[in-house]
Amino acid sequence: MNISLAAEPLFHIGSFPVTNTIVVTLLVSLLIIAASAILKSRVHLIPRGFQNMVESVLEALLNLVDSVTQDRRQSKKFFPLVATIFIFVILSNWVEVVPGMGTIGLRETHEGKEILVPLFRSGSADLNMTLALAIISVMSAQILGIAAIGIGKYAGKFFVSPFAKPYFVGTFVGVLELVSEVAKLISFSFRLFGNIFAGEVLLMVMLFLVPYFAPLPFLFLELFVGFMQALVFSMLTLVFLKMAATEAAH
Amino acid sequence: MQELFTKLGIDWKLLIAQIVNFLVLLFVLYKFAYGPIVAMLEKRQKKIEQGLKDAESARKNLEKSEEKQKEILKKARADFKVIVEKAHTQAEKSKLEIAAEAKTQAKKILADAKAEIGREKKKTIGEIKSEIGGLVAMAAEKVIEEKVDSKKDREIIEKSIS
Repeated sequence: MNISLAAEPLFHIGSFPVTNTIVVTLLVSLLIIAASAILKSRVHLIPRGFQNMVESVLEALLNLVDSVTQDRRQSKKFFPLVATIFIFVILSNWVEVVPGMGTIGLRETHEGKEILVPLFRSGSADLNMTLALAIISVMSAQILGIAAIGIGKYAGKFFVSPFAKPYFVGTFVGVLELVSEVAKLISFSFRLFGNIFAGEVLLMVMLFLVPYFAPLPFLFLELFVGFMQALVFSMLTLVFLKMAATEAAH
Repeated sequence: MQELFTKLGIDWKLLIAQIVNFLVLLFVLYKFAYGPIVAMLEKRQKKIEQGLKDAESARKNLEKSEEKQKEILKKARADFKVIVEKAHTQAEKSKLEIAAEAKTQAKKILADAKAEIGREKKKTIGEIKSEIGGLVAMAAEKVIEEKVDSKKDREIIEKSIS
Protein backbone atom coordinates (compact mmCIF):
# COMPACT_ATOMS: atom_id res chain seq x y z
CA MET A 1 0.00 0.00 0.00
CA ASN A 2 1.37 3.34 -0.99
CA ILE A 3 0.00 6.61 0.27
CA SER A 4 1.16 9.69 -1.50
CA LEU A 5 0.22 13.21 -0.51
CA ALA A 6 0.67 14.39 -4.05
CA ALA A 7 -1.35 13.12 -6.98
CA GLU A 8 0.60 10.56 -8.99
CA PRO A 9 1.37 11.32 -12.63
CA LEU A 10 0.23 8.57 -14.97
CA PHE A 11 2.11 9.84 -17.99
CA HIS A 12 3.47 13.06 -19.40
CA ILE A 13 2.38 15.09 -22.41
CA GLY A 14 5.47 17.11 -23.16
CA SER A 15 6.36 18.48 -19.76
CA PHE A 16 2.78 18.43 -18.57
CA PRO A 17 2.21 15.66 -16.03
CA VAL A 18 -1.17 14.00 -16.54
CA THR A 19 -2.06 12.94 -13.00
CA ASN A 20 -4.79 10.58 -11.94
CA THR A 21 -6.68 13.47 -10.34
CA ILE A 22 -6.76 15.50 -13.51
CA VAL A 23 -8.17 12.50 -15.37
CA VAL A 24 -10.94 12.19 -12.77
CA THR A 25 -11.56 15.94 -12.77
CA LEU A 26 -11.95 15.93 -16.53
CA LEU A 27 -14.28 12.93 -16.36
CA VAL A 28 -16.42 14.64 -13.71
CA SER A 29 -16.52 17.83 -15.78
CA LEU A 30 -17.53 15.92 -18.88
CA LEU A 31 -20.21 14.10 -16.91
CA ILE A 32 -21.65 17.38 -15.65
CA ILE A 33 -21.53 18.96 -19.10
CA ALA A 34 -23.17 15.91 -20.69
CA ALA A 35 -25.90 15.92 -18.04
CA SER A 36 -26.59 19.61 -18.58
CA ALA A 37 -26.67 19.11 -22.36
CA ILE A 38 -29.20 16.29 -21.97
CA LEU A 39 -31.21 18.38 -19.56
CA LYS A 40 -31.18 21.42 -21.81
CA SER A 41 -32.53 19.46 -24.75
CA ARG A 42 -35.66 18.59 -22.80
CA VAL A 43 -36.66 21.14 -20.24
CA HIS A 44 -40.37 20.97 -19.57
CA LEU A 45 -42.64 23.16 -17.52
CA ILE A 46 -43.95 20.02 -15.87
CA PRO A 47 -40.79 18.26 -14.69
CA ARG A 48 -40.24 14.53 -14.63
CA GLY A 49 -37.45 12.12 -13.83
CA PHE A 50 -33.99 13.53 -14.15
CA GLN A 51 -35.15 17.11 -14.55
CA ASN A 52 -37.07 16.80 -11.31
CA MET A 53 -33.98 15.71 -9.42
CA VAL A 54 -31.72 18.41 -10.85
CA GLU A 55 -34.35 21.04 -10.29
CA SER A 56 -34.93 20.12 -6.69
CA VAL A 57 -31.18 20.34 -6.03
CA LEU A 58 -30.87 23.67 -7.84
CA GLU A 59 -33.96 25.07 -6.20
CA ALA A 60 -32.71 24.12 -2.75
CA LEU A 61 -29.40 25.81 -3.58
CA LEU A 62 -31.16 28.88 -4.93
CA ASN A 63 -33.25 29.15 -1.77
CA LEU A 64 -30.09 28.77 0.32
CA VAL A 65 -28.42 31.55 -1.68
CA ASP A 66 -31.56 33.63 -1.27
CA SER A 67 -31.52 33.16 2.48
CA VAL A 68 -27.97 34.53 2.59
CA THR A 69 -28.32 37.41 0.14
CA GLN A 70 -31.94 38.36 0.93
CA ASP A 71 -32.13 39.66 -2.61
CA ARG A 72 -33.24 37.69 -5.67
CA ARG A 73 -31.25 39.77 -8.15
CA GLN A 74 -28.04 39.33 -6.22
CA SER A 75 -28.80 35.64 -5.75
CA LYS A 76 -29.06 35.19 -9.47
CA LYS A 77 -25.67 36.88 -9.85
CA PHE A 78 -23.95 34.64 -7.29
CA PHE A 79 -25.88 31.48 -8.02
CA PRO A 80 -23.91 30.15 -11.04
CA LEU A 81 -20.58 30.23 -9.22
CA VAL A 82 -21.92 28.83 -5.96
CA ALA A 83 -23.93 26.09 -7.65
CA THR A 84 -21.07 25.07 -9.92
CA ILE A 85 -18.70 24.85 -6.98
CA PHE A 86 -21.21 22.77 -5.05
CA ILE A 87 -21.94 20.34 -7.89
CA PHE A 88 -18.33 20.03 -8.97
CA VAL A 89 -16.99 19.56 -5.44
CA ILE A 90 -19.66 17.10 -4.33
CA LEU A 91 -19.13 14.92 -7.40
CA SER A 92 -15.33 15.12 -7.02
CA ASN A 93 -15.71 14.13 -3.37
CA TRP A 94 -18.04 11.25 -4.07
CA VAL A 95 -15.68 9.79 -6.61
CA GLU A 96 -13.69 8.36 -3.69
CA VAL A 97 -16.45 5.94 -2.71
CA VAL A 98 -16.72 4.49 -6.20
CA PRO A 99 -15.27 0.96 -6.15
CA GLY A 100 -11.91 0.66 -7.83
CA MET A 101 -10.71 4.12 -6.86
CA GLY A 102 -7.26 3.79 -5.40
CA THR A 103 -7.09 0.06 -6.03
CA ILE A 104 -7.02 -0.20 -9.81
CA GLY A 105 -3.77 1.13 -11.12
CA LEU A 106 -0.48 0.72 -12.86
CA ARG A 107 2.47 -0.97 -11.27
CA GLU A 108 5.48 1.25 -11.48
CA THR A 109 8.95 1.03 -10.14
CA HIS A 110 9.65 4.08 -8.10
CA GLU A 111 13.01 4.59 -6.37
CA GLY A 112 13.74 0.93 -6.56
CA LYS A 113 10.38 -0.21 -5.11
CA GLU A 114 7.43 -1.46 -7.07
CA ILE A 115 4.34 0.54 -6.14
CA LEU A 116 0.77 0.73 -7.33
CA VAL A 117 -0.18 4.01 -8.98
CA PRO A 118 -3.99 4.28 -8.90
CA LEU A 119 -5.61 5.14 -12.20
CA PHE A 120 -8.22 7.25 -10.51
CA ARG A 121 -8.04 9.48 -7.51
CA SER A 122 -10.74 11.75 -6.18
CA GLY A 123 -10.25 15.25 -7.57
CA SER A 124 -10.55 16.82 -4.15
CA ALA A 125 -7.70 14.70 -2.84
CA ASP A 126 -5.27 16.83 -4.78
CA LEU A 127 -4.17 20.23 -3.53
CA ASN A 128 -3.97 21.53 -7.09
CA MET A 129 -7.68 21.15 -7.52
CA THR A 130 -8.70 22.54 -4.13
CA LEU A 131 -6.25 25.41 -4.42
CA ALA A 132 -7.57 26.19 -7.90
CA LEU A 133 -11.12 26.37 -6.54
CA ALA A 134 -9.97 28.45 -3.57
CA ILE A 135 -8.21 30.89 -5.90
CA ILE A 136 -11.33 31.21 -8.05
CA SER A 137 -13.54 31.66 -5.02
CA VAL A 138 -11.35 34.30 -3.36
CA MET A 139 -10.55 36.06 -6.62
CA SER A 140 -14.21 36.35 -7.55
CA ALA A 141 -14.91 38.02 -4.20
CA GLN A 142 -12.01 40.41 -4.84
CA ILE A 143 -13.20 41.16 -8.36
CA LEU A 144 -16.69 41.81 -7.06
CA GLY A 145 -15.29 44.26 -4.51
CA ILE A 146 -13.13 46.02 -7.11
CA ALA A 147 -16.00 46.21 -9.59
CA ALA A 148 -18.23 47.78 -6.95
CA ILE A 149 -15.92 50.55 -5.61
CA GLY A 150 -12.97 50.77 -7.98
CA ILE A 151 -9.47 49.44 -7.65
CA GLY A 152 -8.04 52.49 -5.84
CA LYS A 153 -10.56 52.47 -3.04
CA TYR A 154 -10.43 48.69 -2.81
CA ALA A 155 -6.65 48.69 -2.50
CA GLY A 156 -7.09 51.33 0.22
CA LYS A 157 -8.58 48.60 2.38
CA PHE A 158 -5.23 46.79 2.51
CA PHE A 159 -2.65 49.51 2.17
CA VAL A 160 -3.14 52.25 4.71
CA SER A 161 -0.57 54.99 5.16
CA PRO A 162 0.99 54.86 8.64
CA PHE A 163 0.54 58.65 8.89
CA ALA A 164 -3.25 58.56 8.57
CA LYS A 165 -5.51 59.17 11.55
CA PRO A 166 -5.29 56.13 13.82
CA TYR A 167 -1.65 56.03 12.70
CA PHE A 168 -0.03 52.61 12.77
CA VAL A 169 -3.22 50.86 13.84
CA GLY A 170 -4.75 51.40 10.40
CA THR A 171 -1.68 50.08 8.65
CA PHE A 172 -1.61 47.05 10.89
CA VAL A 173 -5.31 46.34 10.21
CA GLY A 174 -4.60 46.61 6.49
CA VAL A 175 -1.83 44.06 6.75
CA LEU A 176 -4.12 41.80 8.75
CA GLU A 177 -6.74 42.07 6.02
CA LEU A 178 -4.13 41.07 3.47
CA VAL A 179 -3.05 38.12 5.58
CA SER A 180 -6.68 37.05 6.04
CA GLU A 181 -7.16 36.92 2.27
CA VAL A 182 -4.18 34.56 2.01
CA ALA A 183 -5.43 32.62 5.01
CA LYS A 184 -8.77 32.18 3.24
CA LEU A 185 -6.96 30.57 0.33
CA ILE A 186 -5.10 28.20 2.60
CA SER A 187 -8.07 27.30 4.79
CA PHE A 188 -10.31 26.77 1.77
CA SER A 189 -7.89 24.47 0.00
CA PHE A 190 -6.54 22.55 2.97
CA ARG A 191 -9.93 21.94 4.56
CA LEU A 192 -11.31 20.27 1.45
CA PHE A 193 -8.07 18.49 0.62
CA GLY A 194 -7.57 17.27 4.17
CA ASN A 195 -11.07 15.90 4.55
CA ILE A 196 -11.19 14.09 1.28
CA PHE A 197 -7.62 12.87 1.31
CA ALA A 198 -8.08 11.54 4.83
CA GLY A 199 -11.32 9.89 3.77
CA GLU A 200 -9.63 8.25 0.84
CA VAL A 201 -6.79 6.95 2.99
CA LEU A 202 -9.25 5.76 5.61
CA LEU A 203 -11.29 3.85 3.04
CA MET A 204 -8.17 2.31 1.56
CA VAL A 205 -6.86 1.25 4.95
CA MET A 206 -10.22 -0.22 5.96
CA LEU A 207 -10.36 -2.10 2.70
CA PHE A 208 -6.92 -3.58 3.32
CA LEU A 209 -7.64 -4.51 6.92
CA VAL A 210 -11.17 -5.94 6.63
CA PRO A 211 -12.25 -6.29 3.02
CA TYR A 212 -15.89 -7.20 3.71
CA PHE A 213 -18.62 -5.09 5.40
CA ALA A 214 -16.29 -3.17 7.70
CA PRO A 215 -15.74 -0.35 5.15
CA LEU A 216 -19.49 0.07 4.73
CA PRO A 217 -20.13 2.55 7.59
CA PHE A 218 -17.10 4.48 6.43
CA LEU A 219 -18.52 4.66 2.93
CA PHE A 220 -21.65 6.29 4.33
CA LEU A 221 -19.52 8.55 6.48
CA GLU A 222 -17.52 9.59 3.42
CA LEU A 223 -20.72 10.30 1.47
CA PHE A 224 -21.80 12.58 4.28
CA VAL A 225 -18.38 14.23 4.59
CA GLY A 226 -18.31 14.78 0.83
CA PHE A 227 -21.68 16.49 0.95
CA MET A 228 -20.72 18.53 3.99
CA GLN A 229 -17.46 19.73 2.48
CA ALA A 230 -19.14 20.70 -0.79
CA LEU A 231 -21.76 22.63 1.15
CA VAL A 232 -19.14 24.33 3.33
CA PHE A 233 -17.03 25.30 0.34
CA SER A 234 -19.93 26.77 -1.63
CA MET A 235 -21.48 28.47 1.39
CA LEU A 236 -18.20 30.10 2.39
CA THR A 237 -17.76 31.31 -1.18
CA LEU A 238 -21.27 32.73 -1.06
CA VAL A 239 -20.66 34.43 2.27
CA PHE A 240 -17.41 36.00 1.05
CA LEU A 241 -19.16 37.23 -2.10
CA LYS A 242 -21.98 38.66 -0.02
CA MET A 243 -19.51 40.30 2.36
CA ALA A 244 -17.61 41.85 -0.54
CA ALA A 245 -20.88 43.17 -1.98
CA THR A 246 -22.11 44.61 1.34
CA GLU A 247 -18.75 46.12 2.24
CA ALA A 248 -18.71 47.82 -1.12
CA ALA A 249 -22.16 49.24 -0.54
CA HIS A 250 -21.07 50.94 2.70
CA MET B 1 9.05 26.97 -0.28
CA GLN B 2 9.66 25.16 -3.53
CA GLU B 3 10.25 21.94 -1.65
CA LEU B 4 7.05 22.39 0.36
CA PHE B 5 5.06 22.82 -2.82
CA THR B 6 6.66 19.74 -4.36
CA LYS B 7 5.96 17.70 -1.23
CA LEU B 8 2.33 18.79 -1.25
CA GLY B 9 2.11 18.02 -4.94
CA ILE B 10 1.36 21.58 -5.99
CA ASP B 11 2.44 22.08 -9.57
CA TRP B 12 1.60 25.38 -11.27
CA LYS B 13 0.89 23.58 -14.54
CA LEU B 14 -1.70 21.37 -12.88
CA LEU B 15 -3.02 24.32 -10.92
CA ILE B 16 -3.62 26.33 -14.07
CA ALA B 17 -5.13 23.29 -15.77
CA GLN B 18 -7.56 22.87 -12.86
CA ILE B 19 -8.47 26.57 -12.90
CA VAL B 20 -9.11 26.51 -16.64
CA ASN B 21 -11.11 23.32 -16.29
CA PHE B 22 -13.33 24.81 -13.63
CA LEU B 23 -13.80 28.07 -15.54
CA VAL B 24 -14.82 26.13 -18.65
CA LEU B 25 -17.26 24.12 -16.58
CA LEU B 26 -18.63 27.29 -15.01
CA PHE B 27 -19.03 28.91 -18.41
CA VAL B 28 -20.77 25.92 -19.95
CA LEU B 29 -23.16 25.51 -17.04
CA TYR B 30 -23.81 29.25 -16.91
CA LYS B 31 -24.56 29.31 -20.60
CA PHE B 32 -26.60 26.15 -20.96
CA ALA B 33 -27.93 24.98 -17.62
CA TYR B 34 -28.60 27.75 -15.12
CA GLY B 35 -30.27 30.20 -17.44
CA PRO B 36 -32.99 27.89 -18.75
CA ILE B 37 -33.48 26.07 -15.46
CA VAL B 38 -33.71 29.15 -13.28
CA ALA B 39 -36.00 30.78 -15.83
CA MET B 40 -38.10 27.63 -15.80
CA LEU B 41 -38.21 27.59 -12.01
CA GLU B 42 -39.33 31.19 -11.91
CA LYS B 43 -41.88 30.65 -14.64
CA ARG B 44 -43.33 27.69 -12.80
CA GLN B 45 -43.36 29.60 -9.53
CA LYS B 46 -45.21 32.46 -11.18
CA LYS B 47 -47.64 30.05 -12.77
CA ILE B 48 -48.35 28.34 -9.47
CA GLU B 49 -48.78 31.66 -7.71
CA GLN B 50 -51.14 32.80 -10.46
CA GLY B 51 -53.07 29.53 -10.18
CA LEU B 52 -53.43 29.89 -6.42
CA LYS B 53 -54.52 33.48 -6.80
CA ASP B 54 -57.06 32.52 -9.43
CA ALA B 55 -58.42 29.75 -7.25
CA GLU B 56 -58.70 32.16 -4.33
CA SER B 57 -60.54 34.76 -6.39
CA ALA B 58 -62.82 32.09 -7.84
CA ARG B 59 -63.64 30.89 -4.34
CA LYS B 60 -64.38 34.46 -3.26
CA ASN B 61 -66.57 35.01 -6.28
CA LEU B 62 -68.47 31.84 -5.56
CA GLU B 63 -68.98 32.88 -1.95
CA LYS B 64 -70.17 36.29 -3.03
CA SER B 65 -72.60 34.93 -5.56
CA GLU B 66 -73.92 32.43 -3.04
CA GLU B 67 -74.53 35.23 -0.58
CA LYS B 68 -76.22 37.25 -3.26
CA GLN B 69 -78.40 34.33 -4.15
CA LYS B 70 -79.40 33.90 -0.52
CA GLU B 71 -80.23 37.56 -0.25
CA ILE B 72 -82.33 37.46 -3.39
CA LEU B 73 -84.19 34.44 -2.11
CA LYS B 74 -84.81 36.15 1.22
CA LYS B 75 -86.09 39.26 -0.49
CA ALA B 76 -88.28 37.24 -2.79
CA ARG B 77 -89.78 35.44 0.16
CA ALA B 78 -90.55 38.70 1.92
CA ASP B 79 -92.03 40.16 -1.24
CA PHE B 80 -94.15 37.09 -1.70
CA LYS B 81 -95.53 37.42 1.82
CA VAL B 82 -96.46 41.06 1.26
CA ILE B 83 -98.10 40.32 -2.05
CA VAL B 84 -100.17 37.49 -0.65
CA GLU B 85 -101.29 39.64 2.25
CA LYS B 86 -102.23 42.46 -0.06
CA ALA B 87 -104.18 40.08 -2.26
CA HIS B 88 -105.96 38.79 0.81
CA THR B 89 -107.05 42.21 1.97
CA GLN B 90 -107.93 43.17 -1.57
CA ALA B 91 -110.11 40.10 -1.90
CA GLU B 92 -111.78 40.78 1.45
CA LYS B 93 -112.43 44.34 0.44
CA SER B 94 -113.82 43.51 -2.94
CA LYS B 95 -116.08 40.86 -1.40
CA LEU B 96 -117.68 43.45 0.89
CA GLU B 97 -117.95 45.95 -1.92
CA ILE B 98 -119.66 43.51 -4.21
CA ALA B 99 -122.12 42.58 -1.52
CA ALA B 100 -122.91 46.20 -0.81
CA GLU B 101 -123.36 46.97 -4.44
CA ALA B 102 -125.65 44.00 -4.88
CA LYS B 103 -127.70 45.20 -1.96
CA THR B 104 -128.12 48.68 -3.35
CA GLN B 105 -128.83 47.26 -6.77
CA ALA B 106 -131.52 45.07 -5.30
CA LYS B 107 -133.02 47.99 -3.39
CA LYS B 108 -133.08 50.07 -6.52
CA ILE B 109 -134.75 47.34 -8.52
CA LEU B 110 -137.27 46.87 -5.79
CA ALA B 111 -138.06 50.61 -5.67
CA ASP B 112 -138.36 50.76 -9.46
CA ALA B 113 -140.74 47.87 -9.44
CA LYS B 114 -142.85 49.47 -6.72
CA ALA B 115 -143.02 52.74 -8.62
CA GLU B 116 -144.00 50.90 -11.80
CA ILE B 117 -146.73 49.08 -9.96
CA GLY B 118 -148.02 52.37 -8.52
CA ARG B 119 -148.08 54.00 -11.93
CA GLU B 120 -149.83 51.04 -13.50
CA LYS B 121 -152.37 51.03 -10.72
CA LYS B 122 -153.13 54.72 -11.19
CA LYS B 123 -153.45 54.29 -14.93
CA THR B 124 -155.75 51.33 -14.53
CA ILE B 125 -157.85 53.15 -12.00
CA GLY B 126 -158.07 56.13 -14.39
CA GLU B 127 -159.08 53.87 -17.21
CA ILE B 128 -161.64 52.12 -15.06
CA LYS B 129 -163.01 55.48 -13.93
CA SER B 130 -163.54 56.73 -17.47
CA GLU B 131 -165.03 53.39 -18.44
CA ILE B 132 -167.38 53.48 -15.48
CA GLY B 133 -168.25 57.12 -16.30
CA GLY B 134 -169.33 56.09 -19.78
CA LEU B 135 -171.36 53.24 -18.44
CA VAL B 136 -173.05 55.44 -15.82
CA ALA B 137 -173.89 58.05 -18.44
CA MET B 138 -175.39 55.39 -20.65
CA ALA B 139 -177.33 54.00 -17.74
CA ALA B 140 -178.53 57.43 -16.69
CA GLU B 141 -179.58 58.21 -20.23
CA LYS B 142 -181.48 55.11 -20.33
CA VAL B 143 -183.05 55.92 -17.00
CA ILE B 144 -183.87 59.48 -17.76
CA GLU B 145 -184.50 58.86 -21.40
CA GLU B 146 -183.35 62.13 -22.25
CA LYS B 147 -180.15 63.73 -22.48
CA VAL B 148 -179.41 66.69 -20.46
CA ASP B 149 -176.85 68.64 -22.23
CA SER B 150 -173.54 67.03 -22.24
CA LYS B 151 -172.03 69.56 -19.95
CA LYS B 152 -174.58 68.94 -17.25
CA ASP B 153 -174.23 65.30 -17.88
CA ARG B 154 -170.57 65.34 -17.23
CA GLU B 155 -171.04 67.23 -14.03
CA ILE B 156 -173.57 64.77 -12.75
CA ILE B 157 -171.34 61.85 -13.60
CA GLU B 158 -168.44 63.36 -11.90
CA LYS B 159 -170.45 64.04 -8.81
CA SER B 160 -171.82 60.54 -8.68
CA ILE B 161 -168.48 58.82 -9.03
CA SER B 162 -166.50 60.79 -6.58
